[in-house]
Amino acid sequence: MSEQLNNHDDIQDMPEVETEEVSTIDRCLTFESAGLILYISTKHVIEIINNHSITTLPLMPPYIKGIINLRGQILPVVDIQQRMGKGPTQSTGNVCIIVLDIDSVSLGIIVDSVRQVMDIDLKNVRPIPLKHQQKLLNGMVNMDDGSVFMSVDCQALAVPQ
Amino acid sequence: MDNGMEGMLDTYLFETNSLLDRLDEMLVADEKIGDFSTDDVNEIFRIMHTIKGSSAMMEFSALAEIAHHIEDMFFYIRDKGIDTLDPQHKKELFNLMFRSEDFLRGQVEKVESGEALDTDIDSFAADINNFLKKITGEAAEEAPAAPGAPAADVPAQAPAAPSAPAAEKLPDDKEASCFLHIFLEEGIGMENLRAYMIINAVQECGIELNYYPEHMESDSSTAASIIEEGFFMAFKSEEDAQKAEGVLRTQNYIRSYELAAVPEPEPEAPAPEPEQPAPASAPQAAPAPKPAAQKPAAPKPAAPNAPVKQSLISVSLMKLDSLQNIVGEIVITESMVTSSPELNQLSRDAYDNFMKSARQLRKLTDDLQDISMSLRMVPISGVFQKMSRIVRDMKQKLNKDVRLTLIGEDTEVDKTIVDSIQDPIMHMVRNAMDHGIEDTAQERISSGKNSQGEIILSATHTSSEVVITIADDGKGMDPAKLLAKARDKGLLVKPESDYSTKEALALVMLPGFSTNQTVTEFSGRGVGMDVVKKNVESVGGVVSLSSEYGKGTTFTMKIPLTMAIVDGMKVTVGSSIFTIPIANIRQSFKILPEEIIRDENDNEMIERMGSFYPIVRLHQFYNIDTEVTDLKDGILLWVETSDRSFCLFVDELVGEQQVVVKPFPAFLNYFELKNSGIAGCTILGDGNISIILDIQSLHSAALENA
Repeated sequence: MSEQLNNHDDIQDMPEVETEEVSTIDRCLTFESAGLILYISTKHVIEIINNHSITTLPLMPPYIKGIINLRGQILPVVDIQQRMGKGPTQSTGNVCIIVLDIDSVSLGIIVDSVRQVMDIDLKNVRPIPLKHQQKLLNGMVNMDDGSVFMSVDCQALAVPQ
Repeated sequence: MDNGMEGMLDTYLFETNSLLDRLDEMLVADEKIGDFSTDDVNEIFRIMHTIKGSSAMMEFSALAEIAHHIEDMFFYIRDKGIDTLDPQHKKELFNLMFRSEDFLRGQVEKVESGEALDTDIDSFAADINNFLKKITGEAAEEAPAAPGAPAADVPAQAPAAPSAPAAEKLPDDKEASCFLHIFLEEGIGMENLRAYMIINAVQECGIELNYYPEHMESDSSTAASIIEEGFFMAFKSEEDAQKAEGVLRTQNYIRSYELAAVPEPEPEAPAPEPEQPAPASAPQAAPAPKPAAQKPAAPKPAAPNAPVKQSLISVSLMKLDSLQNIVGEIVITESMVTSSPELNQLSRDAYDNFMKSARQLRKLTDDLQDISMSLRMVPISGVFQKMSRIVRDMKQKLNKDVRLTLIGEDTEVDKTIVDSIQDPIMHMVRNAMDHGIEDTAQERISSGKNSQGEIILSATHTSSEVVITIADDGKGMDPAKLLAKARDKGLLVKPESDYSTKEALALVMLPGFSTNQTVTEFSGRGVGMDVVKKNVESVGGVVSLSSEYGKGTTFTMKIPLTMAIVDGMKVTVGSSIFTIPIANIRQSFKILPEEIIRDENDNEMIERMGSFYPIVRLHQFYNIDTEVTDLKDGILLWVETSDRSFCLFVDELVGEQQVVVKPFPAFLNYFELKNSGIAGCTILGDGNISIILDIQSLHSAALENA
């Protein structure tokens, strides 16, 4: 009995040691909103959906668009452009909702369009030089083709204000 | 493996907690009559025995050790009979038991939260042992004639006896042809249980065996002999023994073992007992060729340990939750299917047939819904029982004489609700004990009351709610004092003289209000009643209080029986669909413009049956675009809840439907939708979402704070 217990402890310890040495490369989903190219780690992304009818909730700040019924689950939807303090996302053919799970808080964000999944080396991510002005972004990274991607602060996104 | 351990831990926690609950219940009940019944002594012994066994198995040594000491104590008490204890000792025993229970609970909580267990348990263990010594000593004096006085020690010596006559040291087992003699490592503790676990492991491999000393699993005193002389497994064939050897190699704590064949012919002499091949039969007193009378304890545990057949199983609440959800979805899907427009294309006969089956289905889903709902109903007695304990503890600490009367303990309530009202009830009982009941008996007598205070905790059902009241016959609340206090704290929102008695009492529920000047262990941190109110409201209930200065205070909580499924009326406002619980709707009607009465602020009202009611335009309150803004185009719903009544203006009634209430996602909790009249949402048959209104909070939001 207790031997099994001990074994069990050993087994549990092993992988932890390994995972601590993960590389700094993170797989990220890139998308466009408010004229910026943003990215978010794929570990938070559940799925991408189109054409969902959003039920508006009364007495909510404008950036909370409402709730949707995602296969029986109620999911709040945030317009990320409005969350950044800009006007509402204009509905075009490409507009879609990215469903996120941030520390078991589920929500959907409306974005202009989704680009692709790519590897971003976290070592190259620099802080945004303008302090205390970003509501939602917490880093920027220069890509090989000269474009700049901004990192979405998931923790800030998961806390309404 | 991982899951296995987790599952075992879950089971262990569940079992141990329910055993401790049972223990608590017994202790509180027994203390009331000031005595342990024989049954309860047996039961406590069994509980401790089980906790010890399972804790040792899970290697929670602090728990096992303490349970072991208590078990020893009750072993003695059970053996001697509870009546040998004088009242003073019984009182001490109660206190000791309550302390033990708290200790065990504390440890179990640590296990739950993954903290390390206390290692410093010696002083507590010593307390138990001292008490045991105290009662053993006195008992021996009182009855010096009793043979072999400290019974707990007797069995410990007993197994040593057989070694002397039988030269081979082998236990007496006629069927066995082969023995394994096993020695455990030194100083591992709980030797008898470790040995038993090893035996279990062998038995699990399908090997038949008998073991000696017998009853080692239940008789902790065999540990001594196992340490000194090891223990035996007896096998019918050498083959079995060899298989068992293989198992032993996988076990821990074994110092050495040896295989010994039975010498033939078996000498009859050392065993005075007749041959009894079945060692499982309880009365056969182990390998000890002693008169059975000398160790009456050993056979006993077998009888009460006989498993009681129960037709109950425990199910994780999560499974019930998902069952409830699925049943809810089935109900919705069913109405989706039966109201599908494609059905109109069926021929008349086919349609009739379809509807016949649909009705049958409807009946079945209704039954399913009822049953799945009843699964979650549990009696409230568990919560009430905890209050007995709290009252008992506080009684001693505060030195107040109070009795707790419980009424309607077997009232059944949804499990989620039980969980969320436990803390509020506890808080109110504590408040009643601490602030409600007078500080001294003298005070009570001089105001013409019985010197013993009383707290009545009662639960009753009405058709759709459960009503819980907590009443004390203490000092009651002084509205003037409350107002003065509220003024000091700056909680008043209007001139003091404008407050009615009822409003003054309601001040108690405001955040940051606590009338007690000093903070006590039990209450008075000023987070009291507002937290109670919030908790109760979070399950859709209401709290009210009434108090007569000098006579006592009564808190009343009204909580809906279940929140999961609501009979609702769907209404539209603009493009939104709202659901209003039918229980709140009194009437719906159209009105003519001239029936509307306006006050100086242009607030609209309407007269119904001799009273005036305010009108809340839902589209205005929620800022929804709609074409129906003229009162004569839409429809008025006269709604009411407990003591509030008003009219809602909506565009159109859509129809009645049973809906499954879904809470809003955690992300939206920040906005406190519950305070703006929204209770939750539901998914309609067509996949759209409808918002469920909470009439009570809608009234507060739209009319009181407007």
